[in-house]
Parts: sequence; C-alpha cells; structure tokens
Amino acid sequence: MRIRRLFKWTRFGIFAVFGVIVLSTSILCIYTVDTELSAEYEINAQNIAKTIADSSAGILLNQNLATLQSLVDQFLAVQGIRYIYITSETGEFLAHTFVPGIPEEILASDHSSTESVQRSLPGMGDFIEVGSPILAGVAGTVHVGMDLDVVALKIQRAIGQQVYLICVILVLGVLASIWFVNLAAKPLAELLAYAVDLARDGERDDFAEREILARDDEAGHLARLFLHVARQGTGRGSVPGATGQE
Amino acid sequence: MSMEGSLGQDSGGREIWGPPVTRKSLMRGGLAALLVAPWTASSLGAGGGQESGDSEAEASGRTQGAGATGDEIVLGVSAAFSGPSRGLGTELYRGATAYFNLVNDNGGIEGRKISLKLYDDGYQPDPCVQNTMRLMLEDKVFLLFGYVGTPTVTRVLPILKKFQNESIFLFFPFTGAQPQREPPYGDFAFNLRASYNQETAGLVDNLVRIGKRRIAVFYQIDAYGRSGWAGVRAALEKHGEKLAGEATYSRGEKFTGSMRKQVEILQGVSPDAVICVGAYAACAAFARDAVDLGLEVPIANLSFVGSENLLKLLVEGRLDGEKYTRLLINSQVVPSYEDTSIPAVREYRELMARYDPKVPEELTQEEYTPFPHSFGSLEGFLNAKLLAEILRRLGPNPDRAGLEEAVFSIRDFDLGISEQVSFGPDRRQGLQRVYHTVVDNGRFVPLDDWGARFA
Repeated sequence: MRIRRLFKWTRFGIFAVFGVIVLSTSILCIYTVDTELSAEYEINAQNIAKTIADSSAGILLNQNLATLQSLVDQFLAVQGIRYIYITSETGEFLAHTFVPGIPEEILASDHSSTESVQRSLPGMGDFIEVGSPILAGVAGTVHVGMDLDVVALKIQRAIGQQVYLICVILVLGVLASIWFVNLAAKPLAELLAYAVDLARDGERDDFAEREILARDDEAGHLARLFLHVARQGTGRGSVPGATGQE
Repeated sequence: MSMEGSLGQDSGGREIWGPPVTRKSLMRGGLAALLVAPWTASSLGAGGGQESGDSEAEASGRTQGAGATGDEIVLGVSAAFSGPSRGLGTELYRGATAYFNLVNDNGGIEGRKISLKLYDDGYQPDPCVQNTMRLMLEDKVFLLFGYVGTPTVTRVLPILKKFQNESIFLFFPFTGAQPQREPPYGDFAFNLRASYNQETAGLVDNLVRIGKRRIAVFYQIDAYGRSGWAGVRAALEKHGEKLAGEATYSRGEKFTGSMRKQVEILQGVSPDAVICVGAYAACAAFARDAVDLGLEVPIANLSFVGSENLLKLLVEGRLDGEKYTRLLINSQVVPSYEDTSIPAVREYRELMARYDPKVPEELTQEEYTPFPHSFGSLEGFLNAKLLAEILRRLGPNPDRAGLEEAVFSIRDFDLGISEQVSFGPDRRQGLQRVYHTVVDNGRFVPLDDWGARFA
C-alpha cells in the first residue's frame, strides 16, 4: 500500500492529462465540426438554389409554373431542405412548398436578396435560408431553407461519435495505467518487504534464498545490495553478484 | 359481365396488373426473364374465337410491332387505384373498359383485341415513373393510356421525350395541366379534355360577372395545384384583379384531416369565392371546415376533383349534408351523365349497365364502392371511344410510327356529344368545352343561372 502511494500522483497526472485531452479535443471537435458542417450545409444549399435557378430560367420564361413546381418538389426530397420558394422579379411567389400557407415572416422579407439569413418560423423551426438569382435576378430569385435542427442533429451525432471514441480511449488508458502501475509496484513491494525483513532479522540464513535475489532487474539488484550491506554489517562475507558497480 | 371475359386478364384468366416496380423488382424481373419464358398478356374480349397465335399472325403478314401482336393491342396504364385518390383511377378505368369490352365483343380492332396492362401508382410521381419504365421497356406496350394526375404525368413527360424515337405517346391523361399541352413535351401527348386554364377561366369569368371579384385559391401543393393556381391567376389578370389569397395542403391528405388552418388563412383575406384545385378527399375536408367555421362563400372545384366522391364524403351519414353542398360549384369537362338526350351518354349508360367493369381485385386492396355513373367514368368512356377510332384508322398493320398521322386524321369527329373533335399538328387537345354544375337534391345538375344561385 505504501508503495502504491508513490504512484498516486502519477495516476492523478495521467487522469488529468487525459481529462485535458478529452476536454480540449471535444471543444476543438465541436468548433470544427460545427463550423465545417454549417459551412458545408450552407454551400450545399447555395448549390441547390443555383441549380434550381439555372434549371428554372427557361421554365419561367415560358410561364410553365406547373413544371416549375414539379422541379421544386423534387428538390424538397433532399435531406435538410425544408422549404423552397421562387419569386418573380416583382416579388410575386411563383412556386413554393409551404403548407398551409406562406409564413408572414417570409412574406415580409426582401425577396430579391440572396444573402444567407437565419430564420425562426413559428410552428416550423429554425432555418438558414440562402438565395440565388435567376438570370442575374431579372427573372426572379430562388430561396432554399435548410433545417438547422437537422444540421444541429448532424453536428451532435458527429461530435458524439468523436467524444465517445475519446472516452473509450480514456477508459482503456486508465485501465492500462492501473495495470502498469501494479506491474511496477509489485517488485517494489517485494523489495520493501525483503528490506524490512532483512533489517529486523539479518542473521537468518534463508535471506540468501529469497526469489527476489534471482530477479534480473533493479529490484533484484537492490535486494542483493541490501543483503550484501547487511552481511558486511554482521561480518558474514559478501553476496555474489552484489557489487557497487551494479 | 364476368371477370373471365373482362379486360385486365390474360388468356389464362390471370389479371394483367402488378404492384409498383422497384429497382430490385426490375432486376429480379430481368433475371427471371432470362430463366423462364415470359408470359404474354393477351386480350380478353368475351367470345374469343378471334384470337390467333403468333405463327398465324406471321402467316397473315401482320406487323409484329411492339404492343401490337398478332391478336391484341396492349395499352399501358399507370393510375391511382390506391390511396385517398383511388376513386379517380377506378372511375376512369371503369368507363374506358366498358367501351373496350364492347369493341372486343365485336371482334376487336382489325381482329386484335384491346387489352390493358394496369399498374397502380397511388397518385404518386415516383411509382408512376417506375411503372412507365416497366410498361415501355418490359411490357413493351403499344401506347400509354388513361394516366391520372398532373404530378404523375409531369414526371413521365421527360421519359417520353427521351424515348421519342420509339414513337410512344401518352393518350388522354386525366389532367388538364399545361406541360403536356405545350413545348417541350406537348408533342408526346394527346389530350381529349379541356385544360385547367379553360376550367379556371370559366369559373373566374362567371364569378366576376356576378360580382365575386375577390377570389382566393385553395390548392394542392404540387404541379397540379400550381397549374390551377396559375390558371386562376391568369384569368383574374384579364379582369384586372389579383388573387385575394391562397392556402395549400399536401397531396394525399384524407377527409379525416383538418383544414381549419387553411380556412382561417382564407378567412383572413375575406374572399368572395374560393376556387379549390385538389382531389376529392382534401377538397371535401376544406368545404366541410369552411362551412363549420363560417366561411360562407361559393366554393368551386375543378373537374379532377372527382365530383361524386366529393359529394359522397360531404353528405354520407349526415342529416345536414345540404349545408355543406349548397355553395359548391363543380367544373366539368364532359356533359352530365344524367342528360340522356346526348347519344354518347345513352351509349355510356347502356354499356356501364351491361358490363359494370371492375378493377382487378389485386389492385383494389382498399375498399372502394364505384358509382354506377360518374363524370370520371364518362370521361374514361369517351377517351376509349376516341382511342378505338384512332386505332381503327391505323389499319390492319398497326405501327406506333403511324399513330400521329392517325390522330391528325381525326377532323370534326362526332363522339356523340354536342362538340366535334378535331386534332392536328397544332391542335393536340380534342375538346374545348367546360360545363358547370351544382348540387341539387343530392345530385350534380347543370348550373344555368349563376346570379340567381349565388347572388
């Protein structure tokens, strides 16, 4: 028990280092995944909006709004997209996906703007909305709303997986450190017991037959040294292999 | 008429139908085709005796074109036989089958029986696309016929363009939308019924004439709804008006669903009238909730709605059903099936009574009780009657490549209604007339005096 106390701070140090690693890695992971995924979603939404804008130019010029709606409906199946609307150059809604109606917040917004904006729509959730002009805006604008809850869920899942992996490594590391400390502490404990016994009753002959003297490590060397010193103190001669050079 | 002799079965008594295909089933089907000899669909007009084997047909020198074998002409159908709009596909099929059965009983077209290869798409675009691919590539039907719905047909049109070298055409879809009437897909379909633009213009013109200028739209949020929405918008523009407001619902909505939010949105704009562009279940739910919430304005529906099913939902099991139907206006693209002064209507009623066609049991997983007569089945009947005439004009060696010419040869053709039918390179829609009906004594009757009814 006393020997293990030697490793108390070592063990604490290992825990502390792992803790710092888990914490810092998680924070970095959250930041990186959040930033990267959010950016990726926004870029994807912009690409989708641009694709719709490019595809709808001809359809809009022909005033074929049923085909335009069909096009919009197909993109709504893309994961994360919650709404799409297309406005004319005058701001009229030509196609959209809202049920039961177009939200007031969107009716009141600037429909020609293609800036990314975050919206909170009552009853629907939180969204990031991106826009793309049709024929440089002279034919209208496409707006795509990405569900931030889906993005958040993705981020949570990605972060959760990383933190889970780090925690598994931490547990394995702690178990390994305990095993290694025990491995190191066992010969030291034996050496300590041997030294104590030697100090109490150095005259006994069986001290030269203990297992620890046969060890080929630091504990064995120290045991042989203790025995040598003890024998010299009692005038009983030297112990083979126990020299000061070792 | 017994199922044995009805359309929709092969010579072994098996119904010609199948579930919507998937990629897996297509692969399975292809593999199976390599392992076993494929069974072929054959026509089933009662009486038989006109059927002949391939060798006989070859001996007679007939063209063995795709879908037109020695003894039959196979038409491919993908329609709604399941889901909340199953009544539309069922009624259209029943009317068409009544006439095709007559043709087959009389020996078919140049000795070839007409058979239908049926698939259910549930009024959903993706299954419809898969069914169409199967009909074209696996079943190799002669032509596509009697499709139901705008969102479905709109998605199929690019496929027809892709395979334009095969000269496969879509005949008389149950939709009045513009995509199959205009470039770039107008050349791949032939329409009989009037368009939604004509229907909505008729409704708007009459409503505006009686002072109902603030018109709102309740519509299905897809290509069909948008088509009707665009029609109302364009018609209002001609009168210097704009849409008073709009509310939407998702395709597949049931009558048991609530439309209260939609009604409240439209109540907020105080409309003089509402035009609904939807299917019967949702439109009936809207009419019900509108009356219950006090939105007492004329509620108009397009022909696609399925008038009899709408009426049934609103009045069945209710003592006060009249209050839900007194403000309804339903636009129709065929004359009233009650008007027996019309020769085609008399023929339709006689054949429906004689054959009483049924959709194959395997396609009717959900309960549906067909109507003895309906606008939908009358439209199907007229579609079949005109198509049979076109097939006759193809002559003894039917070939897809000759279809367009055969259609364009239809000039001032008397279909048995008061309107003559003509087709041409710039005229791919046979009928132009729109009829308006209201509910009186639990039946749809012609609306003659808008002012008196809705003043």
